[in-house]
Amino acid sequence: MQYLLTEQQKARHGNFKAFVKENVEPFAEEWDREQKIPESVISMLAKPGYLGCSLPQEQGGQGWDTVTFGLLNEALGRGSSSLTGVLTVQTMVSKALLKFGSVEQIQKWIPLLAKGEIIGAFALTEPGAGSDLNALATEFTRSDGGYLVLNGVKKWITCGQFASLFLVFGKLGDRSLACLVPREAPGLEVEPIRDLMGFRAAGLAKLAFNNVEVPAANVVGKPGFALSHVAPVGLHHGRISTACSALGLLRGCFEESIAWAATRRICNQPLGDIGMIRSLIAQIGTDLEAGGFLCHSGCRAADENLPEAFEKAVMAKYFTSRAAVRAASDAVQIQGAAGCHGSSPVSRFYRDAKIMEIIEGTTQIHEHLLGGIFVGQTHRS
Amino acid sequence: MINSASTEEEKKVRETVTKFLLSSINISNLNNDDNLFESGIVNSLFAVQLMTFLEKTFALEIGMDDLDIENFKSVNATTAFVMRKKSWQKAEAKP
Repeated sequence: MQYLLTEQQKARHGNFKAFVKENVEPFAEEWDREQKIPESVISMLAKPGYLGCSLPQEQGGQGWDTVTFGLLNEALGRGSSSLTGVLTVQTMVSKALLKFGSVEQIQKWIPLLAKGEIIGAFALTEPGAGSDLNALATEFTRSDGGYLVLNGVKKWITCGQFASLFLVFGKLGDRSLACLVPREAPGLEVEPIRDLMGFRAAGLAKLAFNNVEVPAANVVGKPGFALSHVAPVGLHHGRISTACSALGLLRGCFEESIAWAATRRICNQPLGDIGMIRSLIAQIGTDLEAGGFLCHSGCRAADENLPEAFEKAVMAKYFTSRAAVRAASDAVQIQGAAGCHGSSPVSRFYRDAKIMEIIEGTTQIHEHLLGGIFVGQTHRS
Repeated sequence: MINSASTEEEKKVRETVTKFLLSSINISNLNNDDNLFESGIVNSLFAVQLMTFLEKTFALEIGMDDLDIENFKSVNATTAFVMRKKSWQKAEAKP
């Protein structure tokens, strides 16, 4: 699907892939094993402007289009899903803030996020509220001093271990509210979550807010619009990022599988000459192509600011995350025992792929949403 | 003349908004004052899709200050919002 890209997009994709080949692929297994991405790597991602690539140039970003943002996620996803997670949540926070933040908030925070001088985290999920966001128990109350007082617990927050700024979602009375909370706010406790199945280096954390005082000026959007507008804008960009990252993981499965099939011999013939292995590789390769088109379509629709961009992003993420799980399973199967060991990237792909079916909306939530949209089309016609 | 032109424009905006809503939500009839958000007929993407549609179709920029349910709750409310926003933008564009 290279023919759909402009010469500039192709050139940048080439640069992204070269960056990942040199700086990410050789170290991804170590980060996964250590459950940590070194700070120097985050700086390395920030230096070429990758963390603010889709933010406006006048705000310190690169001003790249969504297609290019998708290509960056695809390239990074080939190397490390955990590292791509940093770009995912940085973009979720930045885009939600850029759209619904006040002039003062945008001037203060966006240039820092764009340059990667601070890392943001999207604090939405709770121990008792994942797919059902209306069940959020985090509470904001108004204090006499004009502050908001925040109490509650957030869990599974990507980059929570090292983020400097949290976009926290909760309720103010019966209205949803989104608020910026700096890491140093008194009463905020960050507890690292270790030993995840996948995304092990993505710095997930549990956040406990105990009577955290937040200035009213930190509210993003208006009370009542956090779940209908602010979160969906962030999640939309999160889905684009995750869809393209899963596509990169699919490419990793494809490349590792064809390389193994070409060199591994069994019964005096290359593994790739065996029909059953070809079947598995045919499925991975075709999913890779189909996923590429869905991701491109979602990114293009976002660039055109089309209303259907939101459902196209859901479709792309739904398809590529499920295809990544299948591809990673087959890639391990093709490599056999070797694929079950940490020395082969496909063992990590297998663990990371499953996480992609869960983050930014589970497969089942996506099916509920898309099924409703498709059934509704019949109703409307 | 100005009033009739304005009324004509408002009518076009109302028709365009209604057409989008009928193509976006599972409902065959929509009255101009039906409350979209209280009816339970919209999904979790609807609010941002409507916002994006209005921005794209009417060349508007919707931001924090526009977040008011009174601006989007029905066909009539959305039409009035678009008309207000367009007149503000025209006024701002004047030297």
